[in-house]
Amino acid sequence: MNKQQGNFFSDTLVMTKRSIVTILRNPLIFIPNLAISMFFLFVYEAGLSGIANLPAFEGANYLAFILPVSIVSAAIGGAGGAGQALVKDLDNGFFSRLLLTPSSRLAIVLGPIIAGMLQLVIQAGLIICVGFFLGLEVAGGALGVVVVLLLTLGWGLAFAGYSVGVALRAKNAQSAQAGTFIFFPLIFLSTTFVPYELIDAAWLKVAASINPVTYLFEAMRTVLIDGFTDTWPIVLGFLVIAGLCGITITFSAVSAKKAVSTD
Amino acid sequence: MNGTIHVENIEKTFKGDVKAVRGVSFNVADGEFFAFLGPNGAGKSTTVQLLTTLLKPTSGKLEVAGYDVNKDPEKVRLSIGVALQETGIDPDLKGRELLEFQARLFGFSKKEAKKRAEELLELVGLTEDADRLSGKYSGGMRRRLDLAMTLVHQPKILFLDEPTTGLDPANRKAIWREIKRLNKEEGTTIFLTTQYLEEADQLADRISIINKGQIVATGTPAELKRTLGFDAIVLQFDEEDEAISAYEAVASDEYQTERVKNDVTILAENGTSILADVIRKLDERNLHPAQLNVKPPSLDDVFIQVTNEQKEGGLNE
Ligand SMILES: Nc1ncnc2c1ncn2[C@@H]1O[C@H](COP(=O)(O)OP(=O)(O)O)[C@@H](O)[C@H]1O
Ligand SMILES: [Mg+2]
Repeated sequence: MNKQQGNFFSDTLVMTKRSIVTILRNPLIFIPNLAISMFFLFVYEAGLSGIANLPAFEGANYLAFILPVSIVSAAIGGAGGAGQALVKDLDNGFFSRLLLTPSSRLAIVLGPIIAGMLQLVIQAGLIICVGFFLGLEVAGGALGVVVVLLLTLGWGLAFAGYSVGVALRAKNAQSAQAGTFIFFPLIFLSTTFVPYELIDAAWLKVAASINPVTYLFEAMRTVLIDGFTDTWPIVLGFLVIAGLCGITITFSAVSAKKAVSTD
Repeated sequence: MNGTIHVENIEKTFKGDVKAVRGVSFNVADGEFFAFLGPNGAGKSTTVQLLTTLLKPTSGKLEVAGYDVNKDPEKVRLSIGVALQETGIDPDLKGRELLEFQARLFGFSKKEAKKRAEELLELVGLTEDADRLSGKYSGGMRRRLDLAMTLVHQPKILFLDEPTTGLDPANRKAIWREIKRLNKEEGTTIFLTTQYLEEADQLADRISIINKGQIVATGTPAELKRTLGFDAIVLQFDEEDEAISAYEAVASDEYQTERVKNDVTILAENGTSILADVIRKLDERNLHPAQLNVKPPSLDDVFIQVTNEQKEGGLNE
């Protein structure tokens, strides 16, 4: 008999490949996502770069400061698309078919999550290219760009994991979309447009200090603006993102199990 | 390999106190073709989902292929093939891609998956459309692809939830032919649900009739017909007037008589013994039916009777 329990890594690979193929076959969904995050970079740079003359910026270039915002916000389309893909699978019954295979539930959710993450990393690469075109200088050099992309990768996994988990709970496109709105407080209750020292409201300072996205911003900005002279913010960024990934991916795998067992 | 199913007193109550399955028990033997026959909302799909690891029962015991569904869902999944009521197809993938993908998840190597996909495409007659997006397939083609995906790992037990509902006759025949072959030639145990009596009658070794979450009758098609125990004498006339006169002539307290347009039907416990009497009565009035048939009861009659009894509280209530 030709049947056996699949292997976790090959299952994850097969699932991921399939998710990438479905993304590529729907260019009308991913191309606007690419365009919008680059658009934001232009707008932020054009509208806000004057802020960089403030003393707290210590002469840093605003483009390097705002680039992480553009990358992090790209996740809503890129990595967030993983949740939408999952809703589609639930709607057309393909998800039940996946649950009926012997693959592990984790491999089943990792397919769209990894595909969403890759989409975000490619978006980030393009954003950085546009940044260079606008005059971006990276203090950390080529290695610095790699570190920013690695941080993006972690953020992509975390956000895609979250959006897949929400989709599995919500089971319809509208609720899944509503779930991704958590993104707005996450990105704006942070050091989004100005450094921590310049935040006025005490409540916003508190929100920013408990918001994991703040540590992601800090890590990316450190690499981009100061290079590797002070590595602690970078390490902290990786630690926070790793923890976040652990939480959201567990959430999505547990939700995959629940999607069938309860009701 | 063990192709049996044991179900003991399962119940499934959904949120909001919807009792979809209310104490169902049955056994299916290795290699048997078993049908679950029932109207919409009877609990057929819920039972299939319970048996195939997709739902957890509220109570009761489920054993599929020798494994406890609750304790060993992975082992159950390796032994069964499931075609749910809604097909499970990603419209963005091509027929061939879907089959290869499915085979990979069941542990086939790339090369084996390619070969298996080719065989299955041939089997369900989709070779020519293999490299088109499945989203562009017709309903019948999607059903056949869905069946092919179900067969990738040569499962010992096949669950088919209303596999022919909404199909045209040609596609229906194609599906019937294939599942008959799987059962007869490969010894695959089959659990099929249907709303069509004809389908259950044609295909199944044994049938359970399910209504409102409960099994109301079980047996071979012949046994079910015998429990009803009525033969039908059908008289067909050329003119409606004749049929009306014939109806008046043969009507009696001893049996049930009905007329619909030009046809008169007599339902009697032993049709052949009253036949002479009926013909004599017609002769006396000089009535000559264009056709006369004596038929054993159809499964339709059984189904209607059994579900009516349940409605009136006659069975299991
Ligand atoms: N997920 C669910 N939540 C609540 N009720 C459900 C659910 N699935 C099915 N039901 C209800 O359970 C009953 C049986 O449904 P089902 O098993 O689909 O019947 P069938 O397949 O025989 O048409 C119906 O009343 C249906 O509305
Ligand atoms: Mg159904």
